[in-house]
Amino acid sequence: MKISTGEYIIRETMLSLKRNSWMSFASIGTVAVSLFVFGMFLILVVNMNRMTDSLESQVEISVYVKDEVNEGGIRTLEERITAMQGIESVKFVDREKAMERFRDRLGDQQFLLDALGDTNPLPNSFEVRVIRPDMVRTAAEAIAELPGVETAKYGQDVVEHLFDITRLVRLFGLALMFVLALATLFIISNTIRLTVFARRKEVAIMKYVGATDWFIRWPFLLEGVVLGCLGGIVAALVLRGAYRVIAAKIYDTLTFFPLIPENPFLHYVTAAILVCGMGIGALGSTISLKKFLKA
Amino acid sequence: MIDMKDVSKVYENGAMALDHVNVHIDKGEFVFIVGASGAGKSTFIRMLFREVLPSDGSLIVNGQDVVHMDHSDVPYLRRGLGVIFQDYRLLPDKTVTENVAFAMQVIEAPRRKIQHSVNAVLDIVGLRDKYKCFPSQLSGGEQQRVAIARAIVNHPALVIADEPTGNLDPETSWDIMDIFKRINADGTTIVMATHDKGIVDAMKRRVIAIEDGHIVRDEAQGVYGYEN
Ligand SMILES: Nc1ncnc2c1ncn2[C@@H]1O[C@H](COP(=O)(O)OP(=O)(O)OP(=O)(O)O)[C@@H](O)[C@H]1O
Ligand SMILES: [Mg+2]
Repeated sequence: MKISTGEYIIRETMLSLKRNSWMSFASIGTVAVSLFVFGMFLILVVNMNRMTDSLESQVEISVYVKDEVNEGGIRTLEERITAMQGIESVKFVDREKAMERFRDRLGDQQFLLDALGDTNPLPNSFEVRVIRPDMVRTAAEAIAELPGVETAKYGQDVVEHLFDITRLVRLFGLALMFVLALATLFIISNTIRLTVFARRKEVAIMKYVGATDWFIRWPFLLEGVVLGCLGGIVAALVLRGAYRVIAAKIYDTLTFFPLIPENPFLHYVTAAILVCGMGIGALGSTISLKKFLKA
Repeated sequence: MIDMKDVSKVYENGAMALDHVNVHIDKGEFVFIVGASGAGKSTFIRMLFREVLPSDGSLIVNGQDVVHMDHSDVPYLRRGLGVIFQDYRLLPDKTVTENVAFAMQVIEAPRRKIQHSVNAVLDIVGLRDKYKCFPSQLSGGEQQRVAIARAIVNHPALVIADEPTGNLDPETSWDIMDIFKRINADGTTIVMATHDKGIVDAMKRRVIAIEDGHIVRDEAQGVYGYEN
């Protein structure tokens, strides 16, 4: 492309942004809202995925041993579990220690245990860790088959719940984004349609004297991309500010919460928002130009 | 320059504007297309720059197959043609110079060449001293001269005009015809649809008469032949 053509395109784009300033403003606003929601769900889903991962990797299998197994049996069991594939560590917890821990965890509610008197209902157990989170299920199932094992449990309920919630959030987010993307496309293509309408004489003359479709298309395309990009910038700025505030709050109160640190995560989110904004802008103007350029 | 064989045009609404028309026009000719209102003159003209596509038949313009050409090749067909309309079709917010230069800008001509060519064609149409005016500051004849300047600035082999004098008084019309004569004398082919009996009769050029979509007369040094 020639330099003078580039100048022409930029000048025309600026001119029509100014000419339709209200419509441009509305488009940028719509794009900003849509992309803000997009970014919010992106951040939410990525954080939840990460939380599921970290929870999963912390998961350990509690293996409860049948009461009738004696000390020798326990040792054989420990050896057999250790020998299994994918096992990282095996730790024996005897029933007295388990009771002690339980008491500790109850804190000032220890009186609840008074009713038990001297009996200890807790079994002997192993705490088993696996090398990779995805091995938890198979390992637990294999251990449960061993003789002398009562049950082998892990936090499957928690993990699976979290999975379900993430899936739900993702689904809801996708649906919402789809609707918002349509709304954004609609308003951008209408803004561009106004520009095309305002310049229809010019475009007709351009066609008579032999301008190519691409030459005619560029200023409109650029206008769409600029609208999308400006909307994206607004959305990204608001989102970054909000994330920072919320992250600070969470670090203060819920220190253990595995929130993804701002950098470079927010840069990626910003990039995604800008790319989506420009993409939607380009698509919007392409839609409104398609019919127009055919003749 | 133009080779039209068995060309028909039926519009979407079923109107038959041209019916098996055969016309051959050589390079350098000056041809009038005449006929009553609704005869099909504009349809004929608009086919030449592919604003209207023939429904049937074959049409070669300036060596290019208009019927079978790709949509993306249409701009290149038009770069070899200059088109002029009854209503001038100038851009109101551009000056005379800018209106003419526009035709070169949009086909990405180099800037220095634009300056030079625009001055040259403004000399041809006699508007050099009004280069800074906006269309609203010009008379109809002057506006049409700007439109002619724009049509010829890229040195087309063929100039196509649909009733270019339709809105002008007889004297001004003759100014326009003088410009056309000069352009034609330089070797440019001219095809012009018109209702102007006086001009057609006085020019003694080739006349193609259309009636209800048929060519009823094609004479080398013809006359208008109708009473207006
Ligand atoms: N876009 C169109 N759609 C449908 N019918 C059309 C269209 N353009 C022209 N026609 C019809 O085709 C026929 C020829 O029209 P055309 O415009 O070619 O006539 P013309 O000779 O240029 O008339 P005039 O002297 O009034 O300009 C007419 O019957 C007209 O109604
Ligand atoms: Mg007509």
